[in-house]
Amino acid sequence: MTVDTGRLEVEAVSKSYDTPGRPRLDVLVNASFTVEPGAFVSLVGPSGCGKSTLLRLIAGLDTEYQGQLRLHGERITGTSLARGIVFQDHRLLPWLTLEQNIGLILSNAPLTPEAKAKTIREHIALVGLQGFEHAYPHQLSGGMAQRGAIARGLVSQPELLLLDEPLGALDALTRVRLQEELQRIWRVEGVTMILVTHDVDEAIFLSSKVIVMNANPGRIVRQIDVDLPEPRDRTSTAFAALKREILDSMGERHQAPTLAET
Amino acid sequence: MNTTTLARTLPSTPSAAPAAGSPWSRLRALLIRRNAIGFALPVIILLVWQTASSRGWVDPVFLPAPAAVARAFVTMVVSQDLAIDFLASLKVVSLGFFAGAGAAVALGIAAGLSQRVEQFFSPTFDIVRHIPGIAWFPLIVLWLGLGAPAKVLVIAKSVFFPVFLNTLQGIRNVDKNYIDLAQVMTLTRWQLVRRIILPAATPNVMVSLRYAAGLAWALVVVAEGLSGLEGLGFLIFRAQGLLLTDQLLVCMVVIGLVGFAIDRSMYFLQRRVLRWKQGYDG
Repeated sequence: MTVDTGRLEVEAVSKSYDTPGRPRLDVLVNASFTVEPGAFVSLVGPSGCGKSTLLRLIAGLDTEYQGQLRLHGERITGTSLARGIVFQDHRLLPWLTLEQNIGLILSNAPLTPEAKAKTIREHIALVGLQGFEHAYPHQLSGGMAQRGAIARGLVSQPELLLLDEPLGALDALTRVRLQEELQRIWRVEGVTMILVTHDVDEAIFLSSKVIVMNANPGRIVRQIDVDLPEPRDRTSTAFAALKREILDSMGERHQAPTLAET
Repeated sequence: MNTTTLARTLPSTPSAAPAAGSPWSRLRALLIRRNAIGFALPVIILLVWQTASSRGWVDPVFLPAPAAVARAFVTMVVSQDLAIDFLASLKVVSLGFFAGAGAAVALGIAAGLSQRVEQFFSPTFDIVRHIPGIAWFPLIVLWLGLGAPAKVLVIAKSVFFPVFLNTLQGIRNVDKNYIDLAQVMTLTRWQLVRRIILPAATPNVMVSLRYAAGLAWALVVVAEGLSGLEGLGFLIFRAQGLLLTDQLLVCMVVIGLVGFAIDRSMYFLQRRVLRWKQGYDG
């Protein structure tokens, strides 16, 4: 066992589905990486590369896998409020107001009602949704609902926030705005974030480390530390070079050369 | 995000009532707001009915004039205690509805939450369900006599199945993603049921309650026609036997209007309970 460093360790993690009468399906093979406390790590890759599977494993939503997943040196055996998650669909419950949606996750948190109300208010303010406390999800735009989901993911004060393509369903402009917002929140809250995305630009813009994955079978092909100066300029040559490197390691450039031309 | 403009368009209270003018203009404003188009067809039917009677196209024994029906209504209210029969029907139908719907929601939830409960009940229920309430009625009258309890029981039975099946289905249809979410939130089983599963199933339950309420009201007329000495259903068959066509029509109109009122109240209840839900407005 390793010493407690608050680090997330993924060691030779594999996940496969055995369906009788069908060949074994390897969703994820031998994935290993570590995430230091306070880091922003992206898992990027084409669909079917196992990135969402990996995130579900880290969240503890799926506990059947080979290998080791450790946080604080302890094996992950289920979900915990210390690991928040934001899904691609905002998944706010339509029958609860924004405030109730965010509050629901605190149902079993050891806080007084006053403390809960206070932290809910603070997190609504953090994502800039003041004035919408009593709005139902259908009254919010897609971007606002996703902000609500981010507030819900953070309200239980997790040490790790898992983001499963949270901006994937948004329009381009809203997405760029929320990327900046996410970066600001990451700095302010100092929470470790792991982002799953298929958008290479998004990964480079936000991350301190990009983990590149590929499909058939789902696996990690490269890990790249991003040391571009901040704020990152999406149009700089260094940015474009890094993007090209990442797309290359996904094997994208040979199939779709246009993707790499920025 | 443009927060300020959206904030203003949020939970919209109905726009302020139009400025009060003369009673006539107020009535007009009300009619326009309440979609007066819905009144057009009833008015046309009344006109055709009136014309048919006054021109002598139909024998009054088969179809008395609207005015004659209105007079019969007054007579029935003033000197024949129509209200008592009306209340008798209403009481039977409410008791039957609440008993049937209550049991259905409770058992539907139990079966929805546990496959074992569902497996225990479903073969029996699927057979009982296919014997119509009216086919049960003769046996139940043998047991309970001609009074209200037999009718309450038959109505409860007829209300039970649509509500039970919809409650069960509503629970089974809960999005699996919500279950994941509950797991992430570390909710207990009871919190999952109360905060996620039951609200998610509510739209189904509400639709079936509205349907069942209409069904119950229709059934009370049949049940009273088949047995007993009171209620609108009894009056309607008696009127037919005595060739009191005007009284028969009074009963029909009252039944129709009450049915309408029941349906509308269920609709508004549904809207109120499901105000978080946004559907296609047409």
